[in-house]
Amino acid sequence: MTLVAGLRAAAYGVPFQPVGGVHGSDLAALNGWQKVKDPYGSGKEVYVIPAISPDVAVIHANEVDEHGNARVLGSPFWDHPLTRAAKRVLVTAERLVPSDALAAQPELTLVPGFMVEAAAVVPRGAWPGSMHPLYEVDYPAVEAYLRDEEGALEAHLGSAPEAKRDD
Amino acid sequence: MTNDWTPFSHIVVNLARQIRPGEIAFSGVNSTLAMLACLLAKRAYDFHFTYLNVAGGVEPVPRTIPHSSSDPALVAGSPAIFGNEDFYDLCARGGLDLVFLGCAQVDGEGRTNVSVIGEWKNPKVRLPGGGGAAVMMPTAKRVVTWRTEHSTRTLVEKLDFVTAAGNLQTVVTPIAVFQKRAGRLALEFWNPQVALDEVARRTGFRFDASGARPAAPISTRERAALESLDPQGEFAAAIRP
Repeated sequence: MTLVAGLRAAAYGVPFQPVGGVHGSDLAALNGWQKVKDPYGSGKEVYVIPAISPDVAVIHANEVDEHGNARVLGSPFWDHPLTRAAKRVLVTAERLVPSDALAAQPELTLVPGFMVEAAAVVPRGAWPGSMHPLYEVDYPAVEAYLRDEEGALEAHLGSAPEAKRDD
Repeated sequence: MTNDWTPFSHIVVNLARQIRPGEIAFSGVNSTLAMLACLLAKRAYDFHFTYLNVAGGVEPVPRTIPHSSSDPALVAGSPAIFGNEDFYDLCARGGLDLVFLGCAQVDGEGRTNVSVIGEWKNPKVRLPGGGGAAVMMPTAKRVVTWRTEHSTRTLVEKLDFVTAAGNLQTVVTPIAVFQKRAGRLALEFWNPQVALDEVARRTGFRFDASGARPAAPISTRERAALESLDPQGEFAAAIRP
């Protein structure tokens, strides 16, 4: 959540973002987080997290159009603050759709095309993770990837959907 | 009624028993046992509470029980998506009554370590991190944690690192339930399959055991709910005594 506070600071265009909690945690000293006293006189002290602006955000979307407008179904997790905080936004998407399909329900578009630098159509691009509502987590693939043995990473990369495509 | 607790049932059922009527309860990432506890409470108890989870689910009715507590299967049947930004903000403004937060170590004051074993700069084990615990533990009204290993290296007098401190109220293990009283964890219940002095021997922090009682047996409905959530015993098999 402190990470998101940093992303929000960047998204809001301010140098830091107040965040609830953190009191009593060694993470504050470790990261050099400062506390400020409420300037409006409540007496409360609040931690402030410095802005974090990623050079590039890459998000995976359900649908994208030729302008980069990207629709995400299901929980957006951190896609919203991430795309607003980053200097550049790249999108991968399950499929390309005509713009009027997105315009029919614009509230489902998570990031508008003017913010997106490039997009690629990558079916099953969230593998071995899930993509609501198209496919679920591939637990056997995750477990195979976690094995601490020679060749596990290569086998994982070789079994990715994009590695198995012919085109 | 015999006390036939298993390590698995002792943790899940005693976690579920912390949920109170009308509460808004939340389970996060890497928290399969807490997820099962919330789903068990929905099936075994008659009172209403609101279950939120890290997948964005609000009162979900999952068709299958996922291995991961952040699986989007936990949004199935949910009438709303209440995603990461929303539930963290709800917690920060005091709107989460009960939050289940995992830990690697917990100390006698109910502070937790999810960051590192050993020194930060020279770690023996680098842990995955708090995932918001430092924000949630001081701001949630009540926090419950659990450990599948009850030992002097998990329940410690002194943490290697304080990831989160604040409103931790309850610690549940395969053999014990601790509740915070006057700023210290005190023994509330122990699993009657072990002796009380075994709990003391396997706990690294000093604790008050006055008033401690054997845990009440698992009820018929709790047992039925647990079996419905884990019909093949897969989750139970993952918890070793």
